Amino acid sequence: MANILWLQGGACSGNTMSFLNAEEPSACDLVTDFGMNILWQPSLGVELGDDVKNILKNCISGETKLDIFVFEGSVVNAPNGSGEWNRFCGRPMKEWVRELCDAADFVVALGDCATWGGIPATAPNPSESEGLQFLKRANGGFLGADFKGKAGLPVINIPGCPAHPDWVTQILVAIATGRAGDLALDEFQRPKTFFQSFTQTGCTRNMHFAYKVSTTEFGQRKGCLFYDLGCRGPMTHSPCNRILWNRVSSKTRAGMPCLGCTEPEFPFFDLAPGTVFKTQTVMGVPKDLPTGVDKKGYIKLTGAAKAAMPAWAEQDIFVV
Amino acid sequence: MSNDDDALRDRIGRLMANGLVTKTEPFPENNIEFEKVLDELRDVAPDSLEEKLIISGFVDKPYGEDEQRCLECMYYLVHRKWCDLPELAVPVEAEWWCRLWRI
Repeated sequence: MANILWLQGGACSGNTMSFLNAEEPSACDLVTDFGMNILWQPSLGVELGDDVKNILKNCISGETKLDIFVFEGSVVNAPNGSGEWNRFCGRPMKEWVRELCDAADFVVALGDCATWGGIPATAPNPSESEGLQFLKRANGGFLGADFKGKAGLPVINIPGCPAHPDWVTQILVAIATGRAGDLALDEFQRPKTFFQSFTQTGCTRNMHFAYKVSTTEFGQRKGCLFYDLGCRGPMTHSPCNRILWNRVSSKTRAGMPCLGCTEPEFPFFDLAPGTVFKTQTVMGVPKDLPTGVDKKGYIKLTGAAKAAMPAWAEQDIFVV
Repeated sequence: MSNDDDALRDRIGRLMANGLVTKTEPFPENNIEFEKVLDELRDVAPDSLEEKLIISGFVDKPYGEDEQRCLECMYYLVHRKWCDLPELAVPVEAEWWCRLWRI
């Protein structure tokens, strides 16, 4: 039996909604088949008011063993570091978070806001938001760079806006079944099993990427979304085209550019006008090139790819 | 490739060979500047071919010290010999260039 407590800070509940869409295992399967005991969760918990407060206090005191603490949403520090803008159960949420993180064997930051600050931490960051152990790319965040849960791991970051339900359930299952030691984390404390490959890995538009054919308008099935529509698939670490959404699709498969939501900088360019759904360029060359590719190589590759382009690459090859 | 495309490509080629002066500069430094050129093109009547060519800076040879040309541009469809940028959408030759060149 693993006790799980789940709280929300500066959050839109998107990760909870995503989690509730989980299948194989579903949220119910976690309880019935994997021995998880959800002490409280904002959308599932039946307790209110003082009863919730007592659950939290019992976790902090150790009366109830807290195996996994899941936090969704940013840690809100405003105004002036007090955290009063986000109160919960009679005190600033950040105070609960600090004590619960110290009490938990494992701490899981779920979604961009909890991992790196996400949209709430976008400049000028009026809510003084930060992630549990990062603020954007900088290690530290609310808990500090040296924080480790009682089991010895730093915060396990599962980013995404929202995170795919499988990313959450599989990590929870791994921890609850005693396989946390198998979790390898990357430099941003993301489980490598999900965040080593790129969003582009498995993308159905890869052939068009290879032959440098651009999607020029939303809804086009031909072409690659990287060249014109700001797709960040080649630079973003996520398994969105390996572990499909709703088991059937992904943003890029549906003709929607990847926004890079599993990376610390999301939302990119602080959402400045003209930066969303637009490939940023410098003198006609994309500002952000696919990871590991330099400008010179990119230009050479483009020439070669265009020269070798087969006729079908220019056409809509998807027949309804 | 249709005969109509071929005829239009020839016509565009003749316009440039006959000295059509187009706005090759300034080259849009970034996508914001690029968008401004596109905005200009969107205001052009669909049948105003010359105006389109002038705004987009068409030339009938590679351009600049890097010898940029349609062939490497991401909007160029090699087999159709076509510029697939919706605001232009004209038949072109691989060795031509315009300031909406992007890779």
